[in-house]
Amino acid sequence: MTRTVLALAAVALMAGCAQVPHPSPNDPWESYNRGMYAFNDTVDRAVLKPIATGYETVTPRPVRTCIHNIFSNLGDVWSGINSLLQGRGRDFVDTFGRVLFNTTAGLGGCIDVASMHGARKIPNDFGMTLGVWGFGQGPYFVLPFLGPSTVRDGVGTAVTLTVPSSPAAAVLAIDDVPVRNSLLGLYIVDTRANLLEADRLVDQIALDKYSFIRDAYLQRRKAMLDSRAQGERASTEDALDQASPEKATDTLPVYEDPDAQATH
Amino acid sequence: MKSFLPSNLHRLTRTFLLGAVLAMALLPAARAEHPVDPKATPDVFLGAVANNMLEAVKADPMALKGDVGHITALVRQYALPYVDMNKTTRLAAGRYWRQASAQQQADLVKAFTGTLIRTYSGAFTRVTPDTTITLLPFRGDTQAGDAVVRTSVSQPNSAPIGVDYRLEQTDAGWKVYDLNVEGIWLIQNYRNQFAQEIGRNGIDGLIKALNAKSGQ
Repeated sequence: MTRTVLALAAVALMAGCAQVPHPSPNDPWESYNRGMYAFNDTVDRAVLKPIATGYETVTPRPVRTCIHNIFSNLGDVWSGINSLLQGRGRDFVDTFGRVLFNTTAGLGGCIDVASMHGARKIPNDFGMTLGVWGFGQGPYFVLPFLGPSTVRDGVGTAVTLTVPSSPAAAVLAIDDVPVRNSLLGLYIVDTRANLLEADRLVDQIALDKYSFIRDAYLQRRKAMLDSRAQGERASTEDALDQASPEKATDTLPVYEDPDAQATH
Repeated sequence: MKSFLPSNLHRLTRTFLLGAVLAMALLPAARAEHPVDPKATPDVFLGAVANNMLEAVKADPMALKGDVGHITALVRQYALPYVDMNKTTRLAAGRYWRQASAQQQADLVKAFTGTLIRTYSGAFTRVTPDTTITLLPFRGDTQAGDAVVRTSVSQPNSAPIGVDYRLEQTDAGWKVYDLNVEGIWLIQNYRNQFAQEIGRNGIDGLIKALNAKSGQ
């Protein structure tokens, strides 16, 4: 199995390398990336997407929501630690409040009671932490199986997988092999199933899925990092309370209007 | 036979009239409740547009089920009139805009409008009767010609979705020209794809590719 996968990856890489004579400025590794993207896409179409679609069809929504919430609650522990590492004490306290509340009143995380009471999820990860600490993001980098990333976020992911407080690592640390593999499988399927809707939309609107996903990923990560640089809270409710308007406009994309006279 | 026909016609007329009266009675309920004033401040203007859109989806059972045809029809009716698609397309095309003929520019705007409608519709496929749109405090300068209004779409059982709108002041009042979903600006996300497609197949190729997507 592993050998087949590696062989597939090698083929995908070779196929990809010849194709991009002029990589985009924001994507110097475009040739490699497109190859890896094609490989991931093949694996996804052959294995992950059908399983996730089946899971979505067979499993009742409340059950799926419960499973997703349990993994999400585990993930909050790691998000909270990252908020702390970034010096975002309030996010840290809020996230740990969520974990305590959801683990107890929410029956082990099954019900996201915290969100229902207005304590929204504050997403965070180690790639973001590295960004806050001042590491540049490096080129866009498509990871095998895991998809869009940058060099910095890739390092973040690698660290995350080795730290036992992230959901993936927590599952990987289980000694009982069948239990571990089942949970890991469930985690992957849950993650993929949650992307099905976005996937459908991208299929409908993207001219080139690779470019669309890359640009969306880079924009989203930049927006997350910018919001931290501004000292905003990550939760949107009072995001603007602490951001000055001047700073807010700094992060807006600047478009050159080729036909500026038309509007003035 | 002779006596049957008129009475049948009569019934038909009555049914039709009843239908018309019912439709008229229902129409105000389905129509915009928040008056939209493009000359108001950007947040007030946009809040009305976004909430009218949301309420229209809630009032349409098919749209509420996620029927894309219904949702896109509502987007055309409630949101599109307040969007400056010409500017959106121009900025996405960047330097290639000037290379296009007037006809190509018009076709490109029309084709990209389809993309925008489907993108915006995507934000409304999971609306429930409990979905709400919160306008985040507006801190921009209303005197400036360019403004961003930030909103948060909340629905039970999922994380809130940040949807921001970028507006420009025109003679007719505020017009939306860019849309941001969860940190991703629409124009920014299409600039590379536009350049790539034009570089490969020219402006006509881009128009064709966009239209092919709409046909799906």
